[in-house]
Amino acid sequence: MFNKQGQGGTVSEFETVIGPSVKVKGDFNAQGNIIVEGMVEGSLKTQGELQVGEKAKVTANVEAKEAKIGGEIRGNVKVKGFLEVTGTAKIFGDIEAGTLSIERGAIFNGKCQMAGALDEIKKISKDKEN
Amino acid sequence: MNIFIYDSFLNQKKYDRLLARIETRITDLGLNGKISRLSLTRNVPEIIDYEIKRGAKTIIAVGNNKTVNQIINCLAGKLVPLGIIPIGEDNNGIAKSLGINSVEAACDILSARLLLRLDLGLANQTYFLGNATIANQGTIIDMNKDYTIETAEKGFIQIFNLVDGTTKLPAEVKVNPADGILELVVSASDKKIIFGKTGDQSVFKIKNISLYNPRSELILDGAVAIPTPTQITIKEKCLSVIVGKNRNF
Repeated sequence: MFNKQGQGGTVSEFETVIGPSVKVKGDFNAQGNIIVEGMVEGSLKTQGELQVGEKAKVTANVEAKEAKIGGEIRGNVKVKGFLEVTGTAKIFGDIEAGTLSIERGAIFNGKCQMAGALDEIKKISKDKEN
Repeated sequence: MNIFIYDSFLNQKKYDRLLARIETRITDLGLNGKISRLSLTRNVPEIIDYEIKRGAKTIIAVGNNKTVNQIINCLAGKLVPLGIIPIGEDNNGIAKSLGINSVEAACDILSARLLLRLDLGLANQTYFLGNATIANQGTIIDMNKDYTIETAEKGFIQIFNLVDGTTKLPAEVKVNPADGILELVVSASDKKIIFGKTGDQSVFKIKNISLYNPRSELILDGAVAIPTPTQITIKEKCLSVIVGKNRNF
């Protein structure tokens, strides 16, 4: 995932690239992969992968299959699979992810829920009750 | 019968020798047909309607992007295929994208007759095969009323059905004129992107958008200007085109 040309990997086909000079306002829904380097206001949903660049500013609730966050997000982040938060990221909102990695230096203010962990908690509670 | 439509600029004397060479090659390949020369009094729709009624097998545009654009607007939705013989180096991006790089190659490609059914972009009532371009500043892009795109930088907005060699897109973006989707590219620079540098570009896959700019017109295929507001949609697989093996999709 997130391979770039020149790094020895294959190139993922991105459906949408939001460049640094562009601001998207409204409900942005996509089927494929998205790269955000600019600004997004509203909501951002995709069935594919999401990559938020270092200089990106997203003021929106975000949903994706997998995501790599390097920029600023003000809103809740919901990722079904793997969420990678890099050292440059600033997240002001709640996170829900299948699996999670947060690099040193990242700023995260909010609650964190993990789908797998929720199942575990339910299982433990049930065992205690029995 | 093959119908060769010569653009009006080919009536200039300097093209006589080149046209004679094309005609000889066409005859050698057994592709000869009828030649129709455009002029102020003979327009494309008139000629094409008449020739299709008489059972034309192929309509061949001899000229540049402007010639091709005029012809696709008459051939859209019909089964008769379009062939292209590009004349000159300028404004022939459509032919190059289709793998037709020279007059000689064009004749061979017509002979091989590799047919593809391609999409066409539709801007209000006018079709385009290549791209539509408008200035960036002051343009409002509305995507199906779901979201809007704003940009403060100077530059241009292009909507691609077919990408020509002069435009460099990010490596991740593939443009295919048979996928039922148009690519909207917002470039934040008024200079054309060259030498492999893609600069600040945004790319959106679209099927239906509206554009509005009171100060600027939308240019289709580098040849036809239409005023805004413009509704742009895609008409899937509505034109048969003879293409070369070296096409860029």
